Amino acid sequence: MSDSSQGTGGLTYDKSKRQWPNELNVFAALILIIVVFEILGAIFMGQSLLFDTRDRFDSIFNEARLRIIIIQVAIVGILALGVTQVIITAGIDLSSGSVVGATAMIAMSFAQVAEVNGGPNPKAIFGPAFLDLPVVVPVIVGLAVGMMAGFINGILVAYSRIPPFIATLGMMLFARGVAQWWSLGNPVSFPTEAYAVIGAGMNPVIIFLALAALFHFIMNYTVYGKHTYAIGSNEAAARMSGINVPRHLLLVYVIAGMLAGLAAVILTSKNLTAQSGMGLSYELEAIAMAVIGGVSLFGGRGSIIGTVIGALIIGVITSGFTFLRLGAFYQEMVLGCIIVGAVALDQWQQKRAAARA
Amino acid sequence: MKKFLMTAGLTALLATGAMAQQIGVSVARFDDNGLTVMRNGMTAHEASLDGVSLQIEDATDDVAKQLDQINNFIASGVDAIIVNAVDTNATEAMSNAAAAANVPLVYVNRQPINMDTLPDGQAFVASNEIESGTLAAFRMCQDLRAQGKSGGAKAYMLMGQLSNQAAVQRSKDFHDVIGMDMCNFITLIDEQTANWSRDEAQDLMTNWISSGEPFDAVFGNNDEMAIGAIQAMKAAGISMDDVVVGGVDATSDALVSMQAGEMDVTVFQDLAGQGAGSIDTAIALINGEEVDKTVFIPFKLVTPENIGDFLQ
Repeated sequence: MSDSSQGTGGLTYDKSKRQWPNELNVFAALILIIVVFEILGAIFMGQSLLFDTRDRFDSIFNEARLRIIIIQVAIVGILALGVTQVIITAGIDLSSGSVVGATAMIAMSFAQVAEVNGGPNPKAIFGPAFLDLPVVVPVIVGLAVGMMAGFINGILVAYSRIPPFIATLGMMLFARGVAQWWSLGNPVSFPTEAYAVIGAGMNPVIIFLALAALFHFIMNYTVYGKHTYAIGSNEAAARMSGINVPRHLLLVYVIAGMLAGLAAVILTSKNLTAQSGMGLSYELEAIAMAVIGGVSLFGGRGSIIGTVIGALIIGVITSGFTFLRLGAFYQEMVLGCIIVGAVALDQWQQKRAAARA
Repeated sequence: MKKFLMTAGLTALLATGAMAQQIGVSVARFDDNGLTVMRNGMTAHEASLDGVSLQIEDATDDVAKQLDQINNFIASGVDAIIVNAVDTNATEAMSNAAAAANVPLVYVNRQPINMDTLPDGQAFVASNEIESGTLAAFRMCQDLRAQGKSGGAKAYMLMGQLSNQAAVQRSKDFHDVIGMDMCNFITLIDEQTANWSRDEAQDLMTNWISSGEPFDAVFGNNDEMAIGAIQAMKAAGISMDDVVVGGVDATSDALVSMQAGEMDVTVFQDLAGQGAGSIDTAIALINGEEVDKTVFIPFKLVTPENIGDFLQ
């Protein structure tokens, strides 16, 4: 890897070895996938995936479809922003989906409304003193629960030196247990109106893109970002050069946990309910977004922009399948092939670039 | 001293074991809403009975784990076992294990594949799954007719997990109903899975809406997905008076939605009744009483007219 913005370990910048930024490859894949769907759509459906072919909108695009493509990946995308940072440190976070489940149950319990259709809330978890609370309470509770889970992950990984796979696997099981125990498996429903606003309409997308921009900046222009890449590229070298590796790793996991907590708040607000099965396999979807976006599971390589494009690819594929009315049975098969294909292509490109250099 | 305490403890354990009827229960998933209602029905019924003690375990949707749990129950000498099967195709081994150990076995909620060859001392307690989808779909057909759409109506269907028997059955029921002469004015635009999930259903429905195809009805294999579809339609500004939405389960969220004039049809599966019924059947089997191989707990149709009966 010779891109100077990510290079560590004594690599000097050499213009002759410069290659296309990896994000451009991922973006090209996104365009390619869209083109494939457009062609299939024209042949089989007589319609366009992204363009308005029915004169329902003033614009040339099918706005409703553009919106849903990104809405359906925004929440997992927020998780993926944290997972991306963890993977760049050469770690992995298997717990994010379960942390979403646990946080969803706990945060929602503080967001419940006292009265539903004139009767008392049939799903109230706590007594009247905890109903109709101001909206900041569940939000802060959600962020705090997420950060706490991330803190435990971080301590286990950074200070106990338990491999991240094992530490977060433990948290994955533990947090799912908490989610089920919290209300003994019962759903928690009927939030206050103010809480319902958080995840309504395009808000999940706005939050996702704002956070993506923020973390893009942090990862590229701050000491935090440099240290994250440095640890992932070569942890020993990072330690030698004076980075407090354990403290930094802890911070990365706390941030990932906080993002999981936030995702849970948005998810419950969007669905107006919290269920203990929420966030199931989100961790794998988030990892898939990062990996499709060019984040290397060996650490040190990848970017927030890549992950965002990876999320968009999954969104386009999901909407494209529905658009083509592809049978439900085939969708997962095709998705599996696309994920493996994307990574295989990326590996091949890496090898070719390395051979050229 | 230590030895004495251990002996005393063991004797106490044995004593309580002999007094109460120990029943081991393996539930497919603890985090499933419907199964939680059933599980709560079991614990409530346990509390109302004297001398019955339940040990409920979560099979976490894992076929192998469930069989292990059953073998563990047998090994620890329970008086009967109740199984809510993870996979209804994998019940043969469970029946064999229980029959070999001479422990009564009751299947609850999900019909075992070996129903015809169920050994003595085993039974199945459930509602007849074929009723639920049929009741909901037929009522939706009537509602569409009442709205004057008998000249032609278009529908979407949200399916549950494709590996699940209830999802397959309810989807088939819907197809069967719209194949009847009285209801064949309904055409299905598309059917996809949303894995029983409200969130996935919301996104799927929004995807459908984005195609701009007009539609008149949405059938969800369960209420959660029907509610997800309703949320998507409301977000897109579609009037809920124009669309007939049906689900299955009659969850309290669904009843609230129906009160608000959004959901039109759902079906009440007396899950708590199934849970209680499975315990009664297990006790009858322990006592060596004559028990029907299948104990049916009926489904009930819920519409805005009779919703009052189902609100607590």
